[in-house]
Amino acid sequence: MKRVVIIGNSAAGISCAEALRKKDKEIKITILSREDYTGYNRCLISYYLAGDIKEDKLVYKPKKFYSENDIELLLNQKAGRIDSKKNQVVLEDKTRIDYDYLVLACGASPKLPEIKGIHKKGVFGFRTISDAKGMLELLPITQTACVLGGGLIGLKAAYGLKKRKIEVKVIVKSSQILSQILDKESAEMCKRRLVENGIEIVSGSQAQEIIGEGDCRAVKLDSGKVIAASIVVVGKGVKPNIELAEDSGIKFEEGVLVDDYMRTNIPNIYAAGDIAQSYDPILEKTAVNALWPNAIEQGLIVAASISGENKKYPGSVGMNSVEFFGLPVISFGITKTPDGFEEIALKDIRQDIYRKIVLKNNVIKGAVFVKKIENIGILLKLARLKVDVSGIKDKLLRPDFNFSFTKDLQYDKEEVYI
Amino acid sequence: MKKLYYNSKKCTACKTCEIVCAIGHSPSKDLYTAVLEENVALPSVRVYVGQEENYPMACRHCQDHPCVQACIAAALKYDPQEGLLFDQEKCVGCWMCVMVCPYGAVRPDFRDSKSVRCDLCVDIKDPRCAKNCPTKAILYVEEKR
Amino acid sequence: MAENKFYGDSATQEMRQVAEDLGIQTVWDRELLQQPHCGFGLLGICCKNCNLGPCRIDPFNPNGPKLGVCGADADVIAARNLLRHITAGSACHNDHGRELTKAFKLAAQGKAPGYQITDESKLKVLAQEYGVKVEGRSPQDIAVDLADRIFAEYGQQEGELVLIQRAPKKTKEMWRKLGIMPRGIDREVVEALARTNMGVDNDYRSLMRHGMRVALSDGWGGSMIATELTDILFRSPRPLDSRVNLGVLKYDQVNILVHGHVPVLSDMIAQAASDPELIKLAKEKGASGITVAGICCTALEVLIRRGVPVAGNFLQQELALVTGVVEMLIVDLQCVMPSLPNIASNFHTKVVSTSPRAHFPGSEYVEFKEEQGYEIAKKLIQTAIENYPNRNQEKVHIPRATENLISGFTTEYIFEMLGGKTLSTYKPLNDGVAMGRIRGVAGVVGCDNPKMQSGETHIKLIKELLKNDVLVVQTGCAATACGKEGLLTPETAFKYAGKGLQEICEAVGCPPILHMGPCVDNSRILTACCEIVGAGGLGVGLDELPVVGIAPEWMSEKAIAIGWYFVASGALVIFGQPFPVYGAKNMTNFVTKEVEELTGGKWAFEIDPLKMAKITIEHMNSKRKALNLKPMMYQ
Repeated sequence: MKRVVIIGNSAAGISCAEALRKKDKEIKITILSREDYTGYNRCLISYYLAGDIKEDKLVYKPKKFYSENDIELLLNQKAGRIDSKKNQVVLEDKTRIDYDYLVLACGASPKLPEIKGIHKKGVFGFRTISDAKGMLELLPITQTACVLGGGLIGLKAAYGLKKRKIEVKVIVKSSQILSQILDKESAEMCKRRLVENGIEIVSGSQAQEIIGEGDCRAVKLDSGKVIAASIVVVGKGVKPNIELAEDSGIKFEEGVLVDDYMRTNIPNIYAAGDIAQSYDPILEKTAVNALWPNAIEQGLIVAASISGENKKYPGSVGMNSVEFFGLPVISFGITKTPDGFEEIALKDIRQDIYRKIVLKNNVIKGAVFVKKIENIGILLKLARLKVDVSGIKDKLLRPDFNFSFTKDLQYDKEEVYI
Repeated sequence: MKKLYYNSKKCTACKTCEIVCAIGHSPSKDLYTAVLEENVALPSVRVYVGQEENYPMACRHCQDHPCVQACIAAALKYDPQEGLLFDQEKCVGCWMCVMVCPYGAVRPDFRDSKSVRCDLCVDIKDPRCAKNCPTKAILYVEEKR
Repeated sequence: MAENKFYGDSATQEMRQVAEDLGIQTVWDRELLQQPHCGFGLLGICCKNCNLGPCRIDPFNPNGPKLGVCGADADVIAARNLLRHITAGSACHNDHGRELTKAFKLAAQGKAPGYQITDESKLKVLAQEYGVKVEGRSPQDIAVDLADRIFAEYGQQEGELVLIQRAPKKTKEMWRKLGIMPRGIDREVVEALARTNMGVDNDYRSLMRHGMRVALSDGWGGSMIATELTDILFRSPRPLDSRVNLGVLKYDQVNILVHGHVPVLSDMIAQAASDPELIKLAKEKGASGITVAGICCTALEVLIRRGVPVAGNFLQQELALVTGVVEMLIVDLQCVMPSLPNIASNFHTKVVSTSPRAHFPGSEYVEFKEEQGYEIAKKLIQTAIENYPNRNQEKVHIPRATENLISGFTTEYIFEMLGGKTLSTYKPLNDGVAMGRIRGVAGVVGCDNPKMQSGETHIKLIKELLKNDVLVVQTGCAATACGKEGLLTPETAFKYAGKGLQEICEAVGCPPILHMGPCVDNSRILTACCEIVGAGGLGVGLDELPVVGIAPEWMSEKAIAIGWYFVASGALVIFGQPFPVYGAKNMTNFVTKEVEELTGGKWAFEIDPLKMAKITIEHMNSKRKALNLKPMMYQ
């Protein structure tokens, strides 16, 4: 009986396990998790922090799921290294687990800046239930929280804390927030909305030191300014958990490199989710697009590869949907127009409406929609399939842009109108 | 499974489908009550008006269903017989489904942060839009593939 | 046939089956094909008044259009539409009044030999109201002057209407204060159309105030004139017996149906049908006689004066033809379905249209002129008789169902009924209300409608009202619906009325439901209300009375106009299905709440007959409380 070992119990690992079990009733499936929870909706922790949902809503897969699907779930187990010669995972407690197929779905971790005091109690990356719970525990004694960095996760934490009536100051080195996913205009709109709702954005500085006796008490900025804060959230992005790959001969760059079938360079080892660096059809090179939807899809691709179905992965795309205080923003691909690219945009600052599309050689390379977010998925599909949109370029920004506008474009789509 | 298809030539954009959809998904299911409800029900079908033809659009219940993969709240499931199953209770309004829907058929309802999508009128097992289209421009027939 | 199959009385159901077997499409079939009725239309939020549009307000989608191209919001659109509905309805009644005035004048001048002035005392009363000198003058002279005064009132530009002066002082003061006292009859209609043009009146409240003024010009103008002159010309009704429902048609007689609204035609047909010459001719053709029966309101005109039987109400007009025994259908105007000539083409039935205002392709057009009224009527009947042998005996089917009914209760007759000839007074009625035997008076009126229950709503409603000691007055097709159920008989008091109401009926000797005539005679309800106020003890304005008007199955714009003249006069009016307004929140609030602060009247919409009754009873109770009346005697 073949055995699949999946390291990581989140989107990629679970979707892989579930799909595998659907295809193969016999195969033995083991999931290893460092955490103490069955699968949960990782992306909902900001909603949980904000108090928008209760903890029960975080449950993605209850215990029952694992038993029903005959999946062995080993919680609180950290893989120490991979012995790819012997096809074994070595746990930190030296236990060895044999595998026929290994799936690296161990995700990513927050990037922590190397500053003094970064490991003090009260400093959080914002990625796990424990992070959210840790913050919630500190709420009663917290007046002010500091978010280091203007990235998506940090701002989501800022939003959640603000909704809990905590003073929030976001420390950003550059002048733009959300610089990884938004262009200047849309970022400005978000920033304005955050500021209007009482979140302070401190630009042009970065944290130099976390001050406090064991517990975090304040943040000292490079400007010399000291901000009292008992919660600090580090929102400077994440890095793939590639430590396992490092000594085991698995090739990696930023993340573990995979081919169109999510295979690493070692034949029976696969990677999926936030750890994987896969082809990005928009960037036309490999990239780590650490996102829930990508992770799910990649897990399915891995399952297809292991079961011999060999489904080709169309590639991952960077895409995000966020909403701050009633201002929804969706973006994907390239949002800051590089040289040699074309952009079309429509802006109504007064109403907070913004639509921008970036193209290259009449192929959509990215888009940002603010407030009026409907129908952006049509553009995403056109971008992923690299469809030449020259025939409808003048219509792309129309407020009533909809699927029927693509009727003369040839690409993989369903027949809707007869 | 049966799916909705639209004859764009026959559609006069009368929006009867939108109205019967909204009423059918309102708590009262009665026109006069529904329009006065606090949060009026939103139609999950929407008619886009074109130059010569008109284009209704509702969830395709497509076999690819990228929305299911994108949903961060596990509110969506796909069943080959029943199509997309949406657990509105679980929806948190993250709009990831809006982001990935290649048909633009899922729409956000910002009032209570829930997405709005066609459920093929499971309650009566007969989509109201097709049943009530005065020009029979909306067809409910076996999936074409 | 589908969902609406089981609605309607037994004769209706029977004939619907016959129609289906013959492959004839009727109003019920067409209603099903029309479902769902356009939601925008039902909500009153589509506007096609100008070519910027047509525009629609999206009632559900927050991103959908909330303003028309011109900028009109849902309230303005709904208000303009509604004002046009009121205006069209009032125009019908006002024009009806004009027709009567014309016939009246021709009769007075001796130019229309078939018509006479039959109620001279009523003529004198009316002439005096209009300031026409009465003493020492012949009825004819008085009538000519009166007719001219009335014609002048149609074109009057300033001042106030004459008959509206009948209203209590408090009510008139209210109208003056609101600026809704009608100034002339035609001018309010014309002004309404001007106001609803693109870019004229853009305030829904102002539009609705004018709507009330138009409606008042109908109820206290055109309609009341029609009622009064009809009484003078064709006699004032007094209660009489007759029969109702399709079973009044006869296998062995020449059957002639009159359908429409203006008695100038129908009364003449009824009169001529008893001409011995014609009866002789009918016998020669093998018939045993001539039956004239009526459909819709013109039926009720000849019913209340001549006891002519009623073949059916609005929804039965097609079914009457499906019996295959109708030699001729003679129509004038209003509520006459365009489908009739086509249905008649399945049979030997001739359809004759008579009004220059109302043409029906497929019918024979014989213009009816008062000057030759009798001859024309005779000629038509003769043609009908000659058509008798053409009847296809294989296609005849008359349902058995008929019922007795009593009708013909007028404002004036109620005096007599209550007080006897010598002691004419409304006092016993007022006392009955004040002492708690009668809870109040409900007018259950209007049309029947396949969207509702094809007449059944009335029956369920009225039984509930009677049980709760509500005295019911009726007009129009609603009355016919109840007649078909056998409710318009004195026995109804024992079967359905509450104890208090029963006692009154017994003491006075009247049925608990008073049939007052066709829908134009809703004006009688207004004058009766004035008499109630006049008799004292129940307040000083119409708005204080425990009175409710209900049109459970309304369909015509005329019903909207009637409803509004009651609301403007201070009554609660209940419609089954709402008129098109629900898509406009402020307008809905205005008609159902705000207007009460202005006139004391307001609208309620409720489809369920039992809930309608509940609203009625609660409203009467609150009015009773405000008047400090005794609690209901038997509760």
